Amino acid sequence: MKTLSACGAAALVLSAAVASAHHSFAAEFDANAPVVLKGTITKMEWINPHSWIHIDVKNPDGTVTEWMVEGGTPNTLFRRGFTRESVKAGMEITVEGYRAKNGANRANGRDLILKDGKRLFMGSSGTGAPIDGKE
Amino acid sequence: MRAAVVAIAAVLSVIPVGAQSKPKAPPYSAKTAWGDPDIQGVWDYKTITPLERPANFGDRQFLTDEEVKRLEANAAKRLNSPPDENSPQGLVHAPYMTDPGQKVDEDRRTSLIIDPPDGRIPPLTAEAQTRLASRRTGGRDGGTDGPENRGSLERCITWGLPTAILPGLYNNNIRILQGPGYVTITHEMVHDTRIVPLDGRPALSPKFQQWFGDSRGHWEGQTLVVETRNFSDKLPYRGSGSGMHMVERFTRTGKNTVEYQLTVDDPHTWTRPWTLSERMRTSEGELYEYACHEGNYAMHNMLEEARDGEKAAAKASVKGVSE
Repeated sequence: MKTLSACGAAALVLSAAVASAHHSFAAEFDANAPVVLKGTITKMEWINPHSWIHIDVKNPDGTVTEWMVEGGTPNTLFRRGFTRESVKAGMEITVEGYRAKNGANRANGRDLILKDGKRLFMGSSGTGAPIDGKE
Repeated sequence: MRAAVVAIAAVLSVIPVGAQSKPKAPPYSAKTAWGDPDIQGVWDYKTITPLERPANFGDRQFLTDEEVKRLEANAAKRLNSPPDENSPQGLVHAPYMTDPGQKVDEDRRTSLIIDPPDGRIPPLTAEAQTRLASRRTGGRDGGTDGPENRGSLERCITWGLPTAILPGLYNNNIRILQGPGYVTITHEMVHDTRIVPLDGRPALSPKFQQWFGDSRGHWEGQTLVVETRNFSDKLPYRGSGSGMHMVERFTRTGKNTVEYQLTVDDPHTWTRPWTLSERMRTSEGELYEYACHEGNYAMHNMLEEARDGEKAAAKASVKGVSE
């Protein structure tokens, strides 16, 4: 019985997760091409349907490559407590994500970590609001 | 435990029936200036209760207290934690960038669907199965020749109905505004607005088909009843055809609550009608614009990547021939 309820719980969570997605991950990104990008934010596009974060990644030879990383939808990020003050040009960031299928310098952002170890778009509590002074 | 239940039942059985019923709260009865029930507001319908009952719940309609607690704790954890090795790959959004809610629906059912009793959308008719098979070989097949191959969601045309009023990953809000003779329902997903006449005018001719259908409304007591037909078969909902018919019932049950019931019927698609029930709450904020086409880079990216894939395949094939 215990096992059955655990399965039920997992199924409930799963069905919520796949309820709706705006576009196909598989048509745009390669789940077998994980990338880790360390760079500086140059621009945050608060744009529908999904936000895009532009970062400059410094290569070992000193050159810089521009990347763009897909993030959450602006309405959602705002509801979770983020404003234009939360994501600013000049912030150093590490992005863990998946690269575009054609090898372009685009990625889907799975985890976005700031220099001090805090997660970008990650709140302090249920409301997920870093601006509410609780952090 | 069983002894306690028996004891309580024994006590209850000697109490006169009248004494058992609690005094009922008066129904919410706010009216607009012109006398219609007032159901205006921005209503939030996010919930982690799934549309259909997961098969392993069998016939069970309600969650136990322990399950509610665990499901809500899991949902909160998922929403407020970074992805780890257990997070599925291939999600467009990291879970913590979404807003699907952390609570089960207040009625604590195992599914939003209350009819059929198994909590699931009924089986497709034979006709619908044939139609679906031919659709798969026709347009909007997920191909990448052009945007027309992609679905309405990816093209930012509309979420369509009933999808635009079913709980999803984000934008789970509607705004209801009323005027004499009309109700408008604005869906945050993708800011589509239905302007619903209440004057009893007949439905549009079936010759007219619209992506978002065409709605007519009337009051039944405190309940707004909205009937929608004239759907386009360009945007099927789980195999539906243009004959789909929706009946929605909005009942304001308190200052901050609306009970929503939806019955969907399409005899050319499902073996029987089905009904869901969910509760909406006053949204914590405003309804925001979701101008989906504003920066829909994904469409460009998907097509570009398909072309690049073709070029790479052609190159490989030439190389293979020359070798």
